[in-house]
Parts: sequence; C-alpha cells; structure tokens
Amino acid sequence: MDGTAVASPGDRGTGAAVRGRSRRPPWQAFLWIAPALAAIGVVYGYSVYRLLIEATHRDGKSVGLGNLRIAIDDPFFRQALGNNLRLLLTLPIIIGIALVVAVLLFEGMRGWRFHRVAVFIPYMLPVTVVGVLFGELLTLHGALNTTLQTLHLNFLVQDWLGNPDWALRSLAGVIIWRELGFGVILFLARLLSLPQNVFDAARVDGAGWFRTHWHVTLPLMRSIIGFYLVIEAITLMSWVFSYVFVMTGGGPGQATQVTETYIYQNAFASDIPWLAAAAATLLLIGVTAVAALFLVVRWGYSRRRAA
Amino acid sequence: MTRLLTTTGRRFAAAALIMLAASACGSSSGGGSSGGGSSAAPSGPVTLTMWYWGNQEAHGLSSFLATSVSKYEALHPNIKINTVLQSTDNLMPNFAAAAKAKKGPDIEYRWGGIWALQDAWDGNLAPISDYIPAAERAHYLNSSEDTWDGKLWSAPWYVQPSFPILYRKDVLARAGIAAAPTTWSQLLSDCSTLRAKGITPIAGGVKDGWFGGWLFSILGSESLTSVDELKQAVVGTKKFTDPDLAEWWTRLGQMISAKCWNDDIGSLDLYQAQQTWVDGKSAMTVTAGTDVRKFVTQVGASKVGVMTMPKYASGVGAGKLGSTSQTLAISSWSPYKQQSADFIMFMHTPAELALFYKDTGALPADNRFDPALIDVPQVKQLYDYSQNGSPYLENFIPTDLDSKANFGGVQLMFAGKATAAQAAATMESDMARIRTIEPDLIDNFKKWTGQQ
Repeated sequence: MDGTAVASPGDRGTGAAVRGRSRRPPWQAFLWIAPALAAIGVVYGYSVYRLLIEATHRDGKSVGLGNLRIAIDDPFFRQALGNNLRLLLTLPIIIGIALVVAVLLFEGMRGWRFHRVAVFIPYMLPVTVVGVLFGELLTLHGALNTTLQTLHLNFLVQDWLGNPDWALRSLAGVIIWRELGFGVILFLARLLSLPQNVFDAARVDGAGWFRTHWHVTLPLMRSIIGFYLVIEAITLMSWVFSYVFVMTGGGPGQATQVTETYIYQNAFASDIPWLAAAAATLLLIGVTAVAALFLVVRWGYSRRRAA
Repeated sequence: MTRLLTTTGRRFAAAALIMLAASACGSSSGGGSSGGGSSAAPSGPVTLTMWYWGNQEAHGLSSFLATSVSKYEALHPNIKINTVLQSTDNLMPNFAAAAKAKKGPDIEYRWGGIWALQDAWDGNLAPISDYIPAAERAHYLNSSEDTWDGKLWSAPWYVQPSFPILYRKDVLARAGIAAAPTTWSQLLSDCSTLRAKGITPIAGGVKDGWFGGWLFSILGSESLTSVDELKQAVVGTKKFTDPDLAEWWTRLGQMISAKCWNDDIGSLDLYQAQQTWVDGKSAMTVTAGTDVRKFVTQVGASKVGVMTMPKYASGVGAGKLGSTSQTLAISSWSPYKQQSADFIMFMHTPAELALFYKDTGALPADNRFDPALIDVPQVKQLYDYSQNGSPYLENFIPTDLDSKANFGGVQLMFAGKATAAQAAATMESDMARIRTIEPDLIDNFKKWTGQQ
C-alpha cells in the first residue's frame, strides 16, 4: 500500500483520494493496463488496420478513397444508411417508455415485482428467437392480425413485414420491445440510488407527480439517460443485424436493409469484399463520431458542473 | 458505474467487431484457379470435408449421403468423409468465408451455371475436369453450364427440373375446373374461378426472396428467343427494359391483378406457403422438381398433376422446364483433390445412382441412371420434361443482380409498390451498377458466354 494516501478525518473524501492517487508516477498506471492495451491493440488495432487496407485497395492496388466514394454513391448503401438513421428515430420512444415504466416500478405500482421481471425478460431472449417469434406473429394471417380481427379492428390489419411501408416500422417495434428491458433496469437502478429526501422535499414544496419527475428525477438521471442514449444509438446503427437477417432479410425490396446487412451481403454473398470494407469503414467512422460526441458533451457538462 | 462502463466498452467493441467482419475478407483475385494436375495419393489417413445443400429440396439426400459415405469408407479404409448440411441462406456466404481463409470444405455443393463459375473466376475452385476423365464426364447432364475456359468446374450431381407447377385435381374439380390450364388466358380465367370459390389459385412465398429468382426463370424464359438475349443484357448490348426481357414482369403483374397468388405471399417463405397446397387450401403451387415425389406421396398420386407454366409466348422456355443440374465442386485449397473427385465419381456409379433416386426421389444428373427405376408417374413426367429442357435463366445472370433485382423486384410487385415497368427499369439500373462496380465479373462473364 506504499504511496497510498490515507485520508485524515478532516479530509472531505474525494479530494484527498485524488491527491493521493496523483502521487503515483503516471507510467505506473500504464504499466497496469499495458496487458489489456496490448490485447486490444492486437485484436482491434490489427483489425482496423486490415479494414483500412481493404477499404483502400482493389485487386491489390491502392485506390485511395475511391472505394469509399463508390460506397457513398451506391444507392443500396444510402438506403441502408437511411434505414439505420430512421431506426435512430426510435431512440426518444425507447427512452421515454423506459423512463415511464422505470418510474412506475420505482413508485411501487401494484405487482411491480412481476412487471419488473416481465419487462426484462425480452432482453434476456436471444435476438434470433425474438426474430423467429415475431416473424411468425407478424405474418398477414399471424396472431397479431387475427387478434385485431377478433377485436373488430380490421382497419389496423397490415402485412407488417411484407409491406415495404410497414416493414421497417415493425422491425423498429420489435427492437423497442426487446431493448426496453435494459433501459428500464438501468433507470430503475439509478432511481433506487437517488436520495429519498430530495423527493420528500419536492412533495413538501407541493410538487405534483409530473413536476416532481420533470424537475427532480430527470435532472438527477441525466447522466444515465445519456449513457443509455449512446448505447442504444450504437445498437441501432450497428447492432441490428440479427433482427433484420432473421425477420426480413433486408426486404421487401431494400425496405429494411441496414448497413450491417449491406456489409454482410457484399462481403459474403456478392463477394465484393472491398465494397464491404469501405462501407464498414464509413460505419466505423460514424459510430466513433457518435461515441466521441457523447464523450465531448459529457466532458463539457462535467466541466460546467465543476465550475 | 464500473459495470456500466464495462458494458459500454463491450457493446462498442462488439459493434466494432461486426463492422470489422469485412476485414476478414481478402480481395477478390479475378481469374481462374491455379488448379490443375493430380495430387499424389496420400499414404496416410485422409479426411475429406463435404459441405452440401439439397436436403431442403430433395428430401432424403442426407440419408443417401450417410449410406453412400459409409459404403465408400468401407471400400477405402484410409478415407473418412465428414458431411455438413448447409442452410439455404448460408450456402454461399459460408463458402465465401471459407474461400477467404482458404480453409474449409474439400467438396462444396454449388448450384449450376454462374453460381458455380463465379467461384471459379475468383480462384476458389479447382477445375474438376483435371481430376475426372472425359469419358466419365460425358455421362454428366447439363455440364455445359458449368464449363468455362475449356474446363468443367463443378460436376453435375442431380437434375433440378426448374420449376414445375403442381396442381390438385380434387381442388380444381371443387371449383368446377375439369383440366389444368395450359394457356395464359386459361390460367387467368381459372384464377378468377378459384377465387370466386374461396380457393387460393397458386401458393407461393417471397419473404426470403428466392422465389423471385424462380419466377424470373420460369416466366422470363417464355418470351426470349434465346438465352443469348439475356447474356447480351448482362454485358450491356441489350437492355432489361427491352420488350422480350421485360415481358415477364408484365405477365407477373397480370397474375397479381387476377389474384392468382395467396394474399400473404409477402410474409411467407415458399416452403411455408406450399403447406396450404398440401392442406388442399390452394389449387396449385410451384416446387423444385426434386421435391415432387415428396408432395405426391403426401397428397396422393391420384390427386396430383404436374405441368409447366401455361404459355403466354413461344420463346425458348415456353411449355418447358428449365434444365439445370445441382453440382459438386472441389475447392482450390483442398489437399485431396483427386480423392474428392474419386468420391464424386463413386456417387455416379450405377448402384449409387439407383440409391440416390430411391432415397431422394430426385433424378441423378447422369445418363447412366436407369429411368425404369422411376416409380412415380409425376416424376417420370419430369424426367421426360428434362430430356427436352430449356436453359435455366437464373444461372446466366450475376448472382448479385438476381438477389437485388429479381428477389427485391418481385417482393415489391407483390406488395403493390412497383409496376412492371418500374421493376424492369430497376433491373436495368442494378445491372448498370454491377457493370461499374464489378468489371472483372463482366469480363469473365463475356469470356464464358462467348461475348468477347
């Protein structure tokens, strides 16, 4: 424990700890994480290097950014990217519903233990199982439409996965259904860690349900919401392959094609690996930008709070 | 928060992994395989790996293979053969991935024509004619579609009569229809009659796309005077919007307008839809020729008839079935090319040909097969059709065009989101895209089809 500062009773927690940590030479920290860094460097560094080589070469010759330009100009890639961006529009819905459900569970709604498990179960199911299940439920004569017809709601009946106007929305609905559980548990965990006296104070001040959560709960949960936002943004940009592959295969037409299936098809079905690599590079840049933006915003927020 | 950050990292890393999947791909090396030459017979034990498909369309194929492999291993104690059944969607991608790693099967199942030759052009196949003597190859049926640069690249295994329509005599009779339609106008008229009786005229499924390629081949061949027209459209000297090449989209549109197909065709795969035909809820369905015996057995021989798509023109495929063979190829990286070829030849011996038909009900692609063994009249009909078949169109267009223009176009037409003219125009623009992106593919295609 040499070099570790021991806080005196008069110290106010973190300040002393930070000062204590700062006494360690910086290289020591790097030494500790060196094995992990090396592993990451070998696994991801080499992969990224190979990806960039593939993305900038064709038939063994360098083509500069030519492959990337072709990918950007490819109408199929644009459609796939557009579908990813459309799926991103579900983010506010996922977060909104997850928040409401988490708050209801937090407030101990009737049967909350059952509901908490029920909400989380979809997240535990493999995506392929979810895809097969909903692939059956959403056929024209599947359980959903049959139920709607039984309820005399025929005007709501759709060919959910066979109609290009509805296929992506249906897919988005399934993704929301499954991803919701993670958000609810995340938000609930944060809610349980919030100091109860803040809520009590709000109630004493006469705040109603909505004002309490709008002005007290939401600000206190900003960081966890931001975290979940980024996780789901990455999911919707580059983690929906299994949903699409199992439920629609990218069809009808190209209606549900996403960048991942575009990459997969070019790499392994159409055998145009350089185009797949170019698209993967663009996707990597895009997702990295989203993550970087989140870190910058969070850093700025932390600085403002510190100030 | 530590757990959360760990989760973030894992998610992000996993996302990156998905994106990096393509980095495992090597660049395609146009041109043929190095192939050629016999490998020396190994003295030690040999393990061959065979990736195959086909149990999906020729039920009993897995059983046949198990028996045939056992017999072969008994004859050759130093050889062991591992067979691995592939799924439809993974047949091409799995081999593509294996080809990048130069590690995988010794024997690989390929659909005929360009489905096999694209891999030959990419250097993934050994020329099988270097390992199978010409006298033996002369017995194989439809081998011309797998021949390029003077060599056979994949050996025909069994014939796929492509694609017959099965009809239920009892269901047609229920609607007062005495005989199956033979002309286009009869077909459209029967569709209306059947619909009026609450019977689905034809059961199909396009959710996974593959049936779109079938429809292209079945309907498209009727209006072409020769398959050369199609080849010319691929290389750009004709257009897919030219009347002969676009006519099939119009005919498909007519069938859709006449409500010939099940209304849930967009949300079902073909195999799911065929069950409604078995259940007597639809009058007709389209099936792989190799599957006919299974359906006849399920429904009863007296109730089932086999026919070709009713004629709307007098082109090369009108009133005929496409004639193609499903094939077996040898991977270019296999250390046991001759041993692989020997096993393929073993499956073409008379006893194995007979066993193949017995187990699968499919016709072996070998003229040494004794047609007297055919025990189902409907299959005999297919055999007769296959003696005078037409080129199977799907084997003569780039696979990428098939999966995008045909699979997607047919789905959109069934969904009412594309007209025949729009679908044809999309096919032309998709082909133009392929010509731009894959000039090597087009060069090889020209050499193959003698367009250069």
